[in-house]
Amino acid sequence: MTIDRIADRVRAAERLNAADALDLYRRAPTALLGQLADIVRARKHPDPVVTYIIDRNVNYTNVCVAKCNFCAFYRPVGSPEGYVLGFDELFRKIDETIAVGGVQLLLQGGHNPDLPLTWYEDLFRAIKERYPSFKLHALSPPEVIHLSRLSQLPVPAVIDRLIAAGLDSIPGGGAEILVDRVRALLHCDGKATANEWLGVMRDAHRAGLRTTATMMYGTVETDEERLEHLLRLRALQDETGGFTAFITWSYQPDHTELAGHEATGIEYLRTLAVARIVLDNFDNVQASWVTQGGKVGQLSLAYGANDMGSVMIEENVVRAAGASYCMDEVEIVRNIEDAGFLAKRRDMQYRILGDPMFREREVPRMLELATARADGDHSTPAELRLYPARSGAGKKMRAGEILPS
Amino acid sequence: MNIAAPTNIIDLGMLADEARRQRHGTRTTFVRVADVASTPGAALAWSPAAGELRIVGTPSSRSAAVERVREVAAGARGVPVSAFSLADLEQLAARESATLRSILEELRAAGLDLVAEAPFDQLRDPRGSIEEVNISGLALARLTIHQLPSAEVPSLLKEVADLQRRVAVVRAFAPLPRVLNSALPTTGYDDVKRVALARLIVENVPSIQVDWARYGPKLAQVALTVGADDVDGVSAEDETTEGRRRAPLEEIRRNIRAAGQEPVERNGRFEPLVR
Repeated sequence: MTIDRIADRVRAAERLNAADALDLYRRAPTALLGQLADIVRARKHPDPVVTYIIDRNVNYTNVCVAKCNFCAFYRPVGSPEGYVLGFDELFRKIDETIAVGGVQLLLQGGHNPDLPLTWYEDLFRAIKERYPSFKLHALSPPEVIHLSRLSQLPVPAVIDRLIAAGLDSIPGGGAEILVDRVRALLHCDGKATANEWLGVMRDAHRAGLRTTATMMYGTVETDEERLEHLLRLRALQDETGGFTAFITWSYQPDHTELAGHEATGIEYLRTLAVARIVLDNFDNVQASWVTQGGKVGQLSLAYGANDMGSVMIEENVVRAAGASYCMDEVEIVRNIEDAGFLAKRRDMQYRILGDPMFREREVPRMLELATARADGDHSTPAELRLYPARSGAGKKMRAGEILPS
Repeated sequence: MNIAAPTNIIDLGMLADEARRQRHGTRTTFVRVADVASTPGAALAWSPAAGELRIVGTPSSRSAAVERVREVAAGARGVPVSAFSLADLEQLAARESATLRSILEELRAAGLDLVAEAPFDQLRDPRGSIEEVNISGLALARLTIHQLPSAEVPSLLKEVADLQRRVAVVRAFAPLPRVLNSALPTTGYDDVKRVALARLIVENVPSIQVDWARYGPKLAQVALTVGADDVDGVSAEDETTEGRRRAPLEEIRRNIRAAGQEPVERNGRFEPLVR
């Protein structure tokens, strides 16, 4: 089929099959992809509104046994650079988030064998007790699988316990590319196969949670495999309708074992646009300014995105791999309005919360994203001793044989 | 085209891309630049991969400028030497009660090939000074914009086109501002509009240029799809700690190809380089 014919199908709101989507991705001019993606965006969002959320992106631990070769953030068990945030540190971060109008934590971390399910439950309950209306968008599917394995409970049971403790929604991290050939090459099939990742999302949706979906591209996958990823998400969304949004970003190679180079800005805009076109059953597509920078992040709004993502406040994972962009609420709103849209705050479910917070009250400017901890702070939270460790290093630490640095 | 009317950014980019393709096809040129300090006696070291040696900084005096050009040119081995801002040279001439032409001729005699930039919004006499560059036997590497609010861009671009109609020696125009305001940076939309409008309005200047180092690979690459056809400021360093595939030469080529274009390396005189 010609590109013009495929483009006509998109304009007519017809669903694309894999072959047509691949043709479009490979051969359509970038500007045409932008035009088509913009048509789909406008169809779903006739009002010229672009949303964003004020939340904080917190990584509660960097200790991880998964050892994905594209990750620059994790530290192995026993590493002196490993950390676990204490409950009080997390409360302080929530206080800071609320102070700038934030409504939730995006809480993700490494697969730390020394944090049992009860640690998460106690944390979630403690947060909800202190901050009843504050939302927990927490634990990506591989983390849920990790907890399932640690606790020897089925995934639905883990999800039920986490919901009972206060979990509100699940972020779509850890999807990378949902093709097992790719996952094997990235050493991330052990943390979750494609089916396992999708299975957690299916279970979460069945349990009444809404979740997001993501795609990290630009490592070892083919164009066909990127499309396969999108089509698998589309199929699950047909089945459950539980995804609120899709977010894609390019692999960040600095300081990773896999190394290589980052996909270009044009590749990002093309991938974003094709995702918007193929994922015809997703309402929301986010711009990834944190990996692409503010300029390409803003241009994403012309290539199908209807959401500028999160103010973030804090970021650790992407920064570890070499990208360190920052946009506070003022800057996000300036970019949205400069592109000709109305800026509105939202929650995780994409319900509009209001106009920009900084126009309602004074909010401190934030010119640099915070980190999980100050450099050199490897202290161990006191409450960790209340939880059984599984690793040898963790057991020694909790027995006091290794003093916290 | 009504340049003041709000235009869909993708439609605007497509128009500019079509104009660029009519002039250049899919060919995108780039130059690897080695910056050299302007202080006489400062270190003289640069990568042999450089296609342009650029003396950067404001000359403290006429004699210092001439001396530094002579030092750099002596070691250039045929690589074009560019130096200074034409606005700084205008001021130097006023400060030293000399004519601009006499300074330019002396710099040329010392080995200078090109004046590195002419910031349109800073020049006291854009037409006269650019003509002096030409008369003195030098070339102008690029016409630039130092700093300008976006709202004033369309009228300024028309002035640039008018200037070129009179002088006809501007080979490349870099429409994005050289001074970046970190507190209030231009947006991606701002930059794309500027580049696209520059291609459409300043149709009598052969190349619309974007600075790789100043604007970064992502924005610079996008600019290549909305009217820009030349990339300035690519580092001449061949190796990085991340390996050869991450080196500037591979990175610029990869980005140009990923934008659907064919990279052609050039030197400071816009002569293609075959390496």
